[in-house]
Amino acid sequence: MKIHIDAAYKSINKNNEELCGDKVQILRTENSTIAVLADGLGSGVKANILSTLTSTIIATMLQGGSSVAEAVETIAATLPVCSVRKLAYSTFTVAQVFDDGRVDLVEFDNPECIFIRGGEVVDLSDSTELKECGGKNVKEIHFTMMSGDVLALVSDGVIYAGIGQALNFGWNWDNVSAWLAKTTQKESSAPRLAVSLIEAVNDLYMGKPGDDSTCLVLKATPRCQVNMLAGPPVDKADDGRMVHDFMTSPGKKLICGGTSANIVARVLNRKIETTLNYSDPTLPPTGRIQGIDLVTEGVLTLSRTVEILRDYLNKETDSFYFRRLDEDNGAAKIAKLILENCTSLRIFAGRAINPAHQNPGLPADLSIKMQLLDQLASLVEALGKPVEKTYY
Amino acid sequence: MEVTICIGSSCHLKGSREVIAILQRLIALNRLENRIELKGSFCMGECMNNGVCVCIDGERFSVTPLGTEEFFKTEIMKRLGK
Repeated sequence: MKIHIDAAYKSINKNNEELCGDKVQILRTENSTIAVLADGLGSGVKANILSTLTSTIIATMLQGGSSVAEAVETIAATLPVCSVRKLAYSTFTVAQVFDDGRVDLVEFDNPECIFIRGGEVVDLSDSTELKECGGKNVKEIHFTMMSGDVLALVSDGVIYAGIGQALNFGWNWDNVSAWLAKTTQKESSAPRLAVSLIEAVNDLYMGKPGDDSTCLVLKATPRCQVNMLAGPPVDKADDGRMVHDFMTSPGKKLICGGTSANIVARVLNRKIETTLNYSDPTLPPTGRIQGIDLVTEGVLTLSRTVEILRDYLNKETDSFYFRRLDEDNGAAKIAKLILENCTSLRIFAGRAINPAHQNPGLPADLSIKMQLLDQLASLVEALGKPVEKTYY
Repeated sequence: MEVTICIGSSCHLKGSREVIAILQRLIALNRLENRIELKGSFCMGECMNNGVCVCIDGERFSVTPLGTEEFFKTEIMKRLGK
């Protein structure tokens, strides 16, 4: 079975630094996900430049079909030399995970990757080979991921968390991996895992990280499509066709819009139940139709969803963010579904204009459904999930 | 008696939530919980009116939050024969 890789990362900067010396690049090719974590020498601007160069060169070359060896040689030849240490240096880990679960991983001086299956840390030393590549000693690891497995790449700031402060010798690899293995049982999605690990690291550093710390989490999940129906078709005669296409498409079903919900209920001859429960006073309540995973109001809810997803992409993720994502309102539920339980999105958009929304007395909010759907689609694509749109 | 309040986008912006809250309070005040059932509904197609669409046993009214108490007295109480 083909798997999807849910990839997320979180970084914190060394105390008093404006820039992070760790850099993550995540790229999607047709049949694989490439993730690079680079940790530049030192901290601040210099480290940031080194790690950005390293990760970008590797990711771009691999995406273009080069081998890791070629990429490493290129880096060795390109990186600027540090005037203090007379070294051009950035440690890195590259992981390429294919659709069928095959993983090709190369490590250069970074802490070993953490591979977790079923809540247990898996020892990868049997599948590790030491190699020389572009004049540097690298480790090559080959293994296979199954749905539910978690692969975490961390920078050394994580391993040394709390050194000399809360802990004499830092958190160390064994403890980090054991902690992460335990946490995979509790926090299921990649973004939550990355954020909770980095928050733990920050706590161990007592809020003043001694080094840039980054955690990149790759989680294998089964493919799960989310189908979203939004807006009534221009021609009423298309109602049946639209609902038929929507209902026969495999995956989760989501309806955004009261009128759309009425149409689906009418075509399927099912009842809509609406709650009067205002969990969030600024958003209309959700409804329920048998066989549909989520029914919400349209534009007001969608504009909030777009806002929540945009905050995620702007990296404003912390435990407060997830509290907002867990709220019991329509917008948060859609955002959560898209962020954590969706590998591809299919939008069935009706282009009819609601005559009621043409009323100049109403805020501009209501006339922008199509724009909102476009924004939503581009955000979901930025999350690395393919989007398909059908208009009616 | 069934009272349905529209919670569609347009009515939401015109104050469905306030109308619902006021009706809930008036119903509790008059101890009518057993005789009136409040329900929500997505857009009922009455968005062009100035108020929130409220439907009593199939008959539609347009109610603003300010006019809710008056509406309760004249329409709902009258129908209940009070």
